[in-house]
Parts: sequence; C-alpha cells; structure tokens
Amino acid sequence: MKNNDQRIGVFVCHCGSNIAATVDVKKVVEEIKNYPGVEHCENYVYMCSEPGQQLIREKIREKNLNGIVVAACSPTLHELTFRRACEAEGVNPFRFESANIREHCSWVHHDISSATSKAVKIVQTIIEKVKQNEKLTPISIPVTRKALVIGGGIAGIQASLDIANSGYEVILVEKESSIGGHMIQLSETFPTLDCSQCILTPKMVEAGHHNNIKLYSYSEVEDVSGYVGNFKVKIKKKPRYVDYEKCTGCGDCMTHCPVHYKPHIQPKPEYSKQIEPRLKKEVDQILKNYLPAQEGSQDKEMLVLILQDINLKYNYLPEQALKYVSERLSVSLPQIYHVATFYTAFSLTPRGDHLIRVCTGTACHTRGALKILDEFQRQLEIKPGETTPDNKFTLETVACLGCCALAPVAVIDDDYFMMTPKKVGELLKKYSKI
Amino acid sequence: MPQLKSIKALEDLRNKLNKDKDPQKPCIALCAGTGCIALGAHKLVETFKKELKQRKLDRKVDLLVTGCHGFCERGVIVVVRPEGIMYQRVQENDVSEIIETTIMKNEIIERLLYEDLSTGEKIIFEKDIPFYKHQQRLVFGNNSRISPVSIEDYIAIGGYTALAKVLSGMDPDEIIEIINKSGLRGRGGGGFPTGRKWQSCRDAEGETKYVIINADEGDPGAYMDRSLLEGNPHSVLEGLIIGAYTIGSHEGYIYVRQEYPLALKHFTIALEQAREYGLLGNNIMGSGFNFDVKVNRGGGAFVCGESTALMASLEGKVGEPRSKHVHTVEKGLRDNPTTLNNVETWANVPLIINNGWEWFTGIGTERSKGTKIFSLVGKVNNSGLVEVPMGVSLRKIIYDIGGGIIGNKPFKAVQTGGPSGGVVPASLLDLPVDFERLTEAGSMMGSGGMIVMDENNCMVDIAKYFVNFLKDESCGKCTSCREGLIQMYEILNDITEGRGREGDIELLEDLSWILDETSLCALGSSASNPVKSSLLYFRDEYETHIRDKKCPAKVCKALITYTIDQEACTGCTLCLRQCPNNAISGEVKKPHQIDQGKCIKCGICFDVCKFNAIIVE
Repeated sequence: MKNNDQRIGVFVCHCGSNIAATVDVKKVVEEIKNYPGVEHCENYVYMCSEPGQQLIREKIREKNLNGIVVAACSPTLHELTFRRACEAEGVNPFRFESANIREHCSWVHHDISSATSKAVKIVQTIIEKVKQNEKLTPISIPVTRKALVIGGGIAGIQASLDIANSGYEVILVEKESSIGGHMIQLSETFPTLDCSQCILTPKMVEAGHHNNIKLYSYSEVEDVSGYVGNFKVKIKKKPRYVDYEKCTGCGDCMTHCPVHYKPHIQPKPEYSKQIEPRLKKEVDQILKNYLPAQEGSQDKEMLVLILQDINLKYNYLPEQALKYVSERLSVSLPQIYHVATFYTAFSLTPRGDHLIRVCTGTACHTRGALKILDEFQRQLEIKPGETTPDNKFTLETVACLGCCALAPVAVIDDDYFMMTPKKVGELLKKYSKI
Repeated sequence: MPQLKSIKALEDLRNKLNKDKDPQKPCIALCAGTGCIALGAHKLVETFKKELKQRKLDRKVDLLVTGCHGFCERGVIVVVRPEGIMYQRVQENDVSEIIETTIMKNEIIERLLYEDLSTGEKIIFEKDIPFYKHQQRLVFGNNSRISPVSIEDYIAIGGYTALAKVLSGMDPDEIIEIINKSGLRGRGGGGFPTGRKWQSCRDAEGETKYVIINADEGDPGAYMDRSLLEGNPHSVLEGLIIGAYTIGSHEGYIYVRQEYPLALKHFTIALEQAREYGLLGNNIMGSGFNFDVKVNRGGGAFVCGESTALMASLEGKVGEPRSKHVHTVEKGLRDNPTTLNNVETWANVPLIINNGWEWFTGIGTERSKGTKIFSLVGKVNNSGLVEVPMGVSLRKIIYDIGGGIIGNKPFKAVQTGGPSGGVVPASLLDLPVDFERLTEAGSMMGSGGMIVMDENNCMVDIAKYFVNFLKDESCGKCTSCREGLIQMYEILNDITEGRGREGDIELLEDLSWILDETSLCALGSSASNPVKSSLLYFRDEYETHIRDKKCPAKVCKALITYTIDQEACTGCTLCLRQCPNNAISGEVKKPHQIDQGKCIKCGICFDVCKFNAIIVE
C-alpha cells in the first residue's frame, strides 16, 4: 500500500489510571495527530470496553480508515478484541496493531515527561509497522506432529520427556557424545545441596530408552527450513570412527591411542620472564618471608598474607605482581583475582598519596557520617573508591573503625579525626600540602 | 630475661616485681586507646615525659601509658594514682598544671574533673563516677592498670596464674567440667556454650588440632574486642593457651581485622614477650606442653567473622562460608578439629580458672552467666565501653551508666547485635539484657554493640542502613542472600525516597522469611532481623513513609524540606556562607531564603543556625 493511501486511526487508551497516571495521553494525541499517514487520533478511558470498540467502528465508517492502532496494553490481552472490531467494519484484521504503552511504558516508569515521550515513540513505531502490514487471509495447513529438541541438558531432557509422554514423537539432538549437559558435571545443586546425578541419571536413562524419543548424540543441527508445523531439519551426525553398535565402552582404545588427544590445554605463560626485574626483586623479598610454607600448611595458604604485603608496599596490587605470585604459588590467575577482588583491603588500581577512609559504622551513621562523606565527595569531586586526577587523595568508606565514641570519624592515612562537615576543608587543605 | 622454666619461677618473678614496686609512688595513668589517640594522646605522652624530666620528676613519678579505659567520650583520660583522681578531656596545655598542682602540691584541678550530668556536681575520684560506679569490670578493668606492651605489668597483677594452675597438673577433663559448670557462653554473638565446644573438639578424632582467636570484629558500632586486644592482650593469650592445653592443640591463630592496626601491634608484641618468657613455645614452664600462635590479618570482609569463612580465609582462600553439616570442631581449619572463640570469651577463661565456676555462676542470670562488655554508642551522653553483669536492665545501662540521651531528648530505641540484631523500643527499657531475653525481644546479644537512638533517628533509614551494609558484605555464594538483600534494599530505598507502595511491607516480610529459611550461613539467615524487628515495633513509621510520604524523624532527604523561619532569622549570614550549593540568599540583617530547586538537603544550615530559624518539614 502506498504512503498516500494510508488512512490510519490511532486510539490512545487511559486504562483508567494505569496509563494516564504516568503517560500524558492528551499530549500523545497532540503529537500523533499530525504524523504522516494518520487520519484520525483520539484518546478514551477504556478502549477495550464496549463503547470503546464502538468508537473505533464509528470512526472507521466516518473517516473510511484502513489501518488501526490502539495504544493500550500488551497485544496478548486485547489484540483479538480489536481485530474483531476492525473485521466487523470491513478492515482487514491484520491491518490492526496494538502499541503497548502500559507494560512497556507506564508501569515501569515514574517520570511523566520521559514516559510520555517514550509512549509517543512506541506509537510512531507501531504506525510505521501498520503501514507495512499487508491484508492477510488465514488459511489451514496440515501439521507434522513431531518435535525437535536441540540440546540434551537437563532442560532439553525434561522437555523431551514431557512431550514424549504426551504421546508425540521427539527428536533430541545433542552435540556432545552424551546427554546430561552441565548439570551432570556438578556434584550438588543449589540450594538444597541435592546430588545432581541422583536427579539426572534416571532421566537420562529414560530419555535414552523412550519409545517416542529418537536420540542423536554427537550430532549437530546444520540447517532448519520450512515454517510452523512443516519444518525440514538437517542433522549432521559427527563421525565417531567407532562402530558403536559393537562398542562396549571399555576405554582400551584411549590408552592405546598413539596421538594423545588433550583438549583445552595450552602452554602456561611464563610470567616470571615478563615481570619487570625491579618489581620481581621486591615481590621476591615479600615471598621470601612466607615461602616455603611451614610444616602443616601449604604454599597457597599464604596467598592472602602475601597479597596484603604487596598491597601495603604499593598501595595496590600491580597486575604483573599478581601474575608472578600466581606462578610462584601454583594458584591459577582467576583464583588470585577471586581473592584480590573479594577482600576490600585490596585495590587493583593505584591509590592516591593520601588515603581517606570515612567511617560509616552504625554509631557514625546515627551521628551524621553521610554528611561527612557527602562533603568529602563534593570537595574532592570523586566518589568513594575513586582517586583524584592529581593522584593526591583516594576516598573510601569503612564499615567501622571502632572509635564509636568519637563519631563521626574519618581516618587519613593512619591518623584518626573526629569530624564535622566544616573540618573536611581544613583537613584537605592540610594534607594537600604534605 | 631468662625463660620461666617452672611454675615456681613465675611466682618468684611476680613476688620480685611486686616487692620492687612502691604502692605509694605517684603514677600518672594515661589512656592511649585508639579513641584517645585520635584526641591527641600521643602528644600528651610526649609532653608529660618532657615536663616531668624538666622538673626532675621522671624517676619519682611513673607515667603509665595504658590501653582503653572505656570512657572514650571524655578522652583523653588521665588518672592520678594512688589517689585515683580522674581528669577528663585533658589537653596538651593542661599537662604542666597537672604536674604542678596535683602531683607536686596534691591539689585538685576543678575544671578537669568530671561533672555529673544531672546534679552538676564535680566528681574527683574515678571510682565515684557513675559511668564506672555501676559497672562490674572483671574482664575489662585491668586495662587501666597495666601497660599493654609490658608482660611484667600483667604478671605483677596476677597474670598467667590461671595458666600456671592448669599446667601444674590439672586434667583437661577437669578444666572442661569447670568451664561447663561456669556456664560460659560465646561472646561473639551466637552464645554457644564454650565448654561444650571444647569438649567436642577434644573428643574429635585427629592428631592436629587448632585453636583460633576470632578478632574479626566486624559489627559496625562494636569495639570491645579491639580495646581488649589493645589494652590487655596477655589476658586473651592466656585464655587461648589454656584452651589449647585443654583441647590438645599445639598451634593457634589469631585473625585480626585489618582496620585494627594497634590491636595487631600490641598482640604481636605480647606474643614475642610470651615466647621470650617461655610462656609460648616448647615445654611451657617446664610442663612439657608445646604451643605457639601465628598472627593473621583479615582482608576487610564482614563475612570472615563467620567460623567457616574465617577458616577459609586463613587457608588463603576467599572467605566464603560453607554449609555446616560437619561442624568446625570436627573439621575446621585444613579439615582438622578446630576451636574458634571470640576475644572476650578467651579473656574470660583465666578468670574462671582463677576464681572457680561457683564464683562465675554467682554473676548474671539463670542461663547467661558472667559479665558482658557492651559498646554503648550513638545518641547517649557517656559513650564508651561498659562491662556489666548479664541481666542488668537497658535502663540502667543507658541512663545510670550512659547518663541518658544527648540533649535530654526522649529515648526512642536501642539497636543491639549489629547487622544481625534488631531494635528494642522504649517500651522495653526495663528488659534485662541477656542472651535469651534479647532474642525474645526480636533482637540478639551479638558481639555487644548498643547503638542508642533518639527521635531524630528514622527506623526505616536504620533498617536500610543495615541491609545496605549486608548487601555489600554478602559473599555472593548463595542466591537468596545475594539477590534477596539487593531487592530488600531497593524496596527500603524506594520507601525512604517517597516511592513506597502499598504492599511493600508485606513484600519485605516475605523476603525476610525466604532469607531466614534458605541462606547458607548466619549472615544471610539473620540479615532480615533489622527489618523484622523495626517492623515489629515501628510499623507505623514505615506506613507514614509509604502513605503520607513523610519521614517523622526528618531524616529521609527526599521526604523533607528545609525552610527559614522569617521571624526567627536574624540575617546573620552564617548559613548563607556555609551552604555548599549556594542555595541560600538574603541580605545582611534581613531574613534569608532557601532556593528549594538548589537545596541539596545536606542539613548544614540546620546544624549551624544559632537561632533555631531553620525549619525541617
């Protein structure tokens, strides 16, 4: 349909106060009225009510509309209602569209002006969609009553079993050599700590032997074509080079294989050769105090203590040092980062010359710690956890310093101060000179 | 100093120390706990030294630099002995006067004395001050009598006698029976019977066993453990050694919060001294018992106060708790039987051994024995550490010891038990404080924080504060705690910012239930306590926030406005000059205005106004 043939009617629903409380519906009408292709636009309290539907029908007759947009709730609720109203007046029901300005807009926003402009954009988008909509006529086609499930994890297995038990044929495709997925690799499940094998293995066996399930393991879907009810799927069975009708799963071939298949193993990077010599020397000094660990404990148990010393020396944890420690302790780098990011004592970025810690413990909180923190933030123009651009100050909060009688308290480097908002400026002035 | 090779050697040393000491020699005891240090105690020590030397008194007068006395509100505290005269809020320029007037002429300096808040009477002696008078300082009292860095001071006042008694042939089962009968319960929060813990650990199979001091005092608003370690580290160590002997452990650990550098320093010094004196190491006092202690610093994670998380952290791992179907007394550190007790619990042990369980059970209530140290802070006149027998009423603690609420405002509630505890309202002011009664009231003992609140504290804000704290401190291992706390925080934040909706309270209650039932460790399963208890006693305050969009305590920024009373304002321009966002305008000597568009509701104008002209609505 050409653009100048479009005669679209737009109806904006209040949905009581569901929409109208957050979206200025009158403003939406004003904005949409002159949109290209829009012949008619108005708002009404409940579009889905009988008078609301009558309104649409009247306007179709009156203005010879050939496309309808109702800006209201989700299409799952009233798409059918409005399509029927259109059909009754001779407008092809597929030239109707719902613009969802309730679930997608008014319910999830608070600010009226931004919610209104979002609603306008939603309606405009849907108008453009209606312009593209062709007149359609429903037809009936036969459907193949068979399901394809891709992926044999717990979800895929359960879906296959549910469909198969309802009496339909299922084709289950799994790319690995066995179904089970990630869950079978776990020892326990959250939060009940049930044994995952105990849940999964009966289902795996059932899926493997079910009369309605055709299982293709070690296979992948290559191509899907067709349409609803009439799909054509191409499944590639990957070569196993083993006659699995005869295979007993003894595993002997693996031990005799001259080409050892070792997946996922890459040579370890040698961090000790990449680290700056000076840093290495200093880190070695620290490591010397802890390694080798005393009898009864292991080297890797020293990790937290070593990181504390490094953090103390550099005021943060340099990346190269972490990599080097990982190699020396034989602890994987992700594990090191897990620890380094867990404890608040560690910082991964350099801290400033002076570390300001504002206590936000309960006693300080009740005596106005937030005012102190706000004032530091305002004067330094940084947030907690950040460092000033001149690298002079780092601002942090601490849960409690244990000087509750002096609340509110802040610590700069190692000195404790009883605070007032006014004192913030004085202290910053003093320390910026040091 | 040669090592103490036998129990007799310890006794000889004590006798010698006490013989050399003249009880009538003047002594200036100066508090140098973290609180007083913040108020300038270090400088004061230097000045005292200098001034005493100048007057050639440095040999005639002892200067004793002690740990925390507990009365932090009035720091720096100076006590002149043997009379026991207490001076408060002492500053550098008071030093020479103290020496000249009190030490040399034996006269009192009136202006440095403590003034009773209700009667206005000046009190001369430390023992007469209500803050001290109503306390029973069994564990904490020695802090002001000794130097924390001197093992000889500790030995002189009877330190390590309990250890000597134990090592001179007491059977471990006998010790456990004494601890059991004493009814000592864990002071860290849980209140688990200490004797039973020791028994299980002693009975557990395994050659290597560990004992640990939990000094990861994470509850915001509580600092008794820190002050004990800073002021009297040997008492904690003595308890630990006795525990180790009882359980059959040869290796101990202390896990100290990284925010407590002074506690760490003093405890490390204590360990070195104990090794030097043969009270740690091989063959302690000739008994054949070997034991030593290692020091670990925490990494700044609240959850590491939980036993399994603490042990994971000691193993160099991330401090995540595990589920406790097997207890740590059977499989703890490195999967070996481990006994973990709080600082205060260990410090109670020597007292019980020395004085007997009968003495200990004479103090406290039926099921909670002994004393407990509380950190009394917040809107109370006499902030500080107080040690009272279990079962003392909140009223006595807050009014008799604490001297009531600042500015004589009405008492609203007291928050106990830290982030896992709850609020106790004014109607329960006569509640006897022990493990059971606090739990019944919907709160808990916890590690002993008591944060007093007046009408200017908003209960929704306090609940939000704790949930925010726990949200940040949740280790993230289990979903209900990680996600549940975020959602609770969002709801509470909405309520305090005027976006509260009907049904929010019910949603909070549902979430609380889920957290209680499904969290892996105590952090999560008790995280809803601040919300539940404030809902129990202050539900109307939540409702006012939600329905009327008002904050009765005038705390929640989004729900209040600051205006200037045009009649009261004198046009002094003080607020104008202090306003950080230039929101106040007006001419000199004419009433000022606040531009509501610019006002960031910091409240500074309210704090600085001398004419009560700022109105908060």
